[in-house]
Amino acid sequence: MRAFGYTVARDPAEAVRLAATTPGSTFVAGGTDLLNLMRDGAETHDHLVDVNRLDLGGITVGSGALRMGGAARMRQVAEHPGVRREFPMLSEALLASASPQIRTMASIGGNLLQRTRCGYFRDAASPCAKRVPGSGCPAITGQNRGHAILGGSEHCIATHPSDLAVALTALDATVRLLGPGGERAVPIAGFYLLPGSTPDRETAMRPGELITRVDVPRTALAGQSRYLKLRDRATFEFAVVSVAAALRTRGNVVRDVRLAFGGVGTRPWRDTRVEAALRGRPLTPQAIDEAGRILVRDAKPYEGNRFKVELVQRALVSVLGELGGLR
Amino acid sequence: MSGLVGQGVARVDGRAKVTGAARYAADQEVPGVLHGALVMSTIARGEVLEIDRRAALARPGVVAVHTHADMPRLNLPNFPYNRPFIPMQDTRVHHHGQPVAYVVAQTLEQAQEAAGLVKVRYRAEDPVARMADVLDEAFLPDDFRDRPNEYSRGDAAAALGQAAVRVDRTYSSPMQHHNPIEPHTTTAVWEDDGTLILYESTQGVVFARNTVQIAFGMPEGSVRVVSPYLGGGFGAKGPTYPHTLLTAAAARLCGRPVKLVLTRAQMYTSNGHRAEYRHHLRLGATRQGALTAVVSTSTAQVTRVDENVYNGGDSTVRLYACPNVHVRQLGVRLDLPTSSYMRSPETTAHFGLETAMDELSYELGIDPVELRIRNHTEVDQQPDPPVPYADKRLLECYRAAAEAFGWARRSPRPGTTRDGDEYVGWGMATETHTHTVIPSRARLTIGPDGRATLRAATQEIGTGTYTVLTQIVCEGLGMPLDQVTTLLGDTAYPDASLSAGSSTMPSVAAPAAEAAAKARNAVIALAVADPRSPLHGVPAEEVVARDGRLSAGGDRVDTYRAVMTRHGRSVEVTGDKRNSTPGHSFGAVFLEVRIQPRLGRLRVTRVVTAHDLGRVLNHRTARGQVIGGVMWGLGFALMEHTMVDPATARVVNPNLSTYLVPVCADAPSVEALFVDRPEPDAELAGIRGFGETPGTGVPAAIGNAIYHAIGRRLRDVPFTQDKLL
Ligand SMILES: Cc1cc2nc3c(=O)[nH]c(=O)nc-3n(C[C@H](O)[C@H](O)[C@H](O)COP(=O)(O)OP(=O)(O)OC[C@H]3O[C@@H](n4cnc5c(N)ncnc54)[C@H](O)[C@@H]3O)c2cc1C
Ligand code: SF4
Repeated sequence: MRAFGYTVARDPAEAVRLAATTPGSTFVAGGTDLLNLMRDGAETHDHLVDVNRLDLGGITVGSGALRMGGAARMRQVAEHPGVRREFPMLSEALLASASPQIRTMASIGGNLLQRTRCGYFRDAASPCAKRVPGSGCPAITGQNRGHAILGGSEHCIATHPSDLAVALTALDATVRLLGPGGERAVPIAGFYLLPGSTPDRETAMRPGELITRVDVPRTALAGQSRYLKLRDRATFEFAVVSVAAALRTRGNVVRDVRLAFGGVGTRPWRDTRVEAALRGRPLTPQAIDEAGRILVRDAKPYEGNRFKVELVQRALVSVLGELGGLR
Repeated sequence: MSGLVGQGVARVDGRAKVTGAARYAADQEVPGVLHGALVMSTIARGEVLEIDRRAALARPGVVAVHTHADMPRLNLPNFPYNRPFIPMQDTRVHHHGQPVAYVVAQTLEQAQEAAGLVKVRYRAEDPVARMADVLDEAFLPDDFRDRPNEYSRGDAAAALGQAAVRVDRTYSSPMQHHNPIEPHTTTAVWEDDGTLILYESTQGVVFARNTVQIAFGMPEGSVRVVSPYLGGGFGAKGPTYPHTLLTAAAARLCGRPVKLVLTRAQMYTSNGHRAEYRHHLRLGATRQGALTAVVSTSTAQVTRVDENVYNGGDSTVRLYACPNVHVRQLGVRLDLPTSSYMRSPETTAHFGLETAMDELSYELGIDPVELRIRNHTEVDQQPDPPVPYADKRLLECYRAAAEAFGWARRSPRPGTTRDGDEYVGWGMATETHTHTVIPSRARLTIGPDGRATLRAATQEIGTGTYTVLTQIVCEGLGMPLDQVTTLLGDTAYPDASLSAGSSTMPSVAAPAAEAAAKARNAVIALAVADPRSPLHGVPAEEVVARDGRLSAGGDRVDTYRAVMTRHGRSVEVTGDKRNSTPGHSFGAVFLEVRIQPRLGRLRVTRVVTAHDLGRVLNHRTARGQVIGGVMWGLGFALMEHTMVDPATARVVNPNLSTYLVPVCADAPSVEALFVDRPEPDAELAGIRGFGETPGTGVPAAIGNAIYHAIGRRLRDVPFTQDKLL
């Protein structure tokens, strides 16, 4: 790790100004990902602007939306009674993330911007097109159990590791940003980018922008949601496959459904065709199977992750079955 | 006799450990210490062409950047040095993550930053990283530490051909790493008189001392190694590794003490590992279940520059009665670091044997426990002629564990037990591991204040050595626990056992007990000879020591403290008795898994073990060892897997967030039973090594339970969810 400078910002405007005027700078919140990346040499920064003192920690459940400050802690959001009641999948996704210690330190903004766990990305001595554009992607022919079957390109097949982002993707959240150019809001559907030929670009954020808030519309659907996470040990691990699902039925018929998937896509994965295949139809095992097949229609599996094609469909059956009372 | 031995005495060092008062190797404060950082090779095979140190040397605080060009030439020690070469002696690169430069700086941060600035240019050759690609190049390696890699008795091939029932399967396990929580660390301090002190995290201070003396061509006794506590080792700190030698060399070059702590990532290439392993196993049996043939061919990863096989298949040779056995342990050369002993190394082969036995039980329609009982042997069949075991109580283990588990209620048919959407499977396996005995001495001093101190150059690896030795000394002296201190982990004390190979207690318990008995007798002799003692003139053998008091009935009572205060000097004795022989501990593990096959979800919910380890010295620490063994067995079976990039031979997951080990939420309930046969007449007879036995059967038992649950036989660990779908 290289020596770096460090400044504590007092308010969001100052944070943005400091970041814009200090070359080689970036924000640090809990530091639970950033410092590891810097230690491993996967990222280098000359200066860190600390955003922990900013007044961005609030969590409110208003009539129209849940508002989470960019510096709210994962643990605070997960334990918030309004979130647990009205947005169960959000709370579940957070509680299934990392460990209590990390959740206490880590922020919502940092969580959304954490980097992939691809081992080649985190090994500074390895080629990796996401870290060093143009250096190639050794995962495609190498160790790729943790990698994506959807949304990959010949340049990168890394998954986005955030569980929270999967839930937010299902719930149509909006990310609010403050940058040198002012404030703006980006719908989550457009927030994460596909790798294409620029896997180093992961989000629609512009240089120097700060995540000030994340808003989640409050809907009846969000109240009937679940987050199912499958992994190789009981806890403290990233998803092998996950599903964020919200479902409303009338009788047996699907009135509305939202689905997003983790562990399978190069970004938190949502495919509205899957939802469309279910909406307005009776929720039957056949209907779910069909929806699952649509999800993996364009899947491109590799040697180590072929099983995800099957596993993600089964996860879908499981979570919808549970929400829809099929078992 | 105060009867302390055997009791579940709480750890005497527990408070120091949880409060942070215990000083681990890297906690030693050495004035003027400099910090080291290693620059590791980024290629797996080839040569260093050029090392550009300028950017590193230009950084503030950097004292030196050493390379092969200026490293002193060292002598290559034999085992327990675990490498066929010393790095930085020449330009050759044998594996990725091999030290190629050594940075010394004023602070740790400066050293690490500078290490990142050293630029190394290589001539790289294509490495071979995957065993599967070169299996046809497998060969029979040379003997390692006097142990041949081929063993045969009877005519196994013929017997297999004639067998009524056969099992012919291949089992495999990947590369795994020890992952103790405390990283390897060395602080080297050269004294003015040319001697060297090393504060080292090691499972063997004596081994480390001898290795370093050889490497530096130093006379015996000129190196002192200090290692009072270890944050785990699991074999990774048994042998001595290059970083220790390089740190001592760097400290000599700069004339200042140097401290090095390996990073977690560096621990994946610096301290050995469990080699990737394939095990082709063929069993032949009669219809009644008697084994008639065992043909075992294993293949383990070795390197281009050595061929040491660390995963011996002892149980294949010895565990079950079988007249015809042929074992071959082959190697395949890959461009990876040398492997090593890791957490019960015999587990590697035992997993195959115990799975094959389960498969055989289904072939024959014989209950797996019954099959093992039918093949039970009371003799060690490896020596020729075979030697009867002195006191093997494995049958009692099967019985006790089966009963506590409720095995009799098991429906033998796979896939028939369900609970909601879960399939429930019960499996079992035999547990066994070899233990060694290493000549050891222990010195006991009773001071003028009547307090006793035991000193021995063995280690507290985390298993409770301080506690159990203190118990033994207290019992031998007849003194309460708080009057006795045990000091370990320093070659200033008498040479004693390595904490590996399950050898600590079988090696050190007897010398400690002997020293205690000698010291007790010496103090009693002082008392009965002293006219000021109430015991004056009493025949020594009539004096009983208990709770610090020496009494001969009635008011003829003295105390250690009073006798020693009057004596005014210390009493010092040494024990070196050897009353254990190398051998085996045995046991059985029964466990339950619950599986949701739709999602590939599996939990191990319940484990019952019974072990025969001779005399149990402390029920609490023995139980701790069982729980630890079960957890590591779970890791082996379900998740542990070092991933190597096939093209570059680099480890892809050198960290604890992607190299998975079990966490608390994975822990099942564990009921640990012991066939505990204390033999009061022979003070310390019947002690066996137990460190590595628990857990040896767990991977197979889990696989066997999976088969019982869902009727699918898994032979390739880890059993991840994709294999359960
Ligand atoms: C062992 C381990 C296991 C984990 N398991 C999981 C898991 O199962 N699921 C999961 O979802 N996550 C998991 N994580 C990741 C963890 O959730 C993230 O490390 C954490 O959320 C990052 O938050 P932070 O505040 O510490 O971010 P930091 O490390 O401080 O920052 C991360 C990034 O976000 C940027 N940043 C931070 N705040 C802002 C802001 N307000 N505006 C703009 N940029 C910002 C930083 O510049 C940096 O690039 C795990 C982490 C570890 C170490
Ligand atoms: S998958 Fe992406 S992050 Fe991983 S090595 Fe390839 S390019 Fe790099």
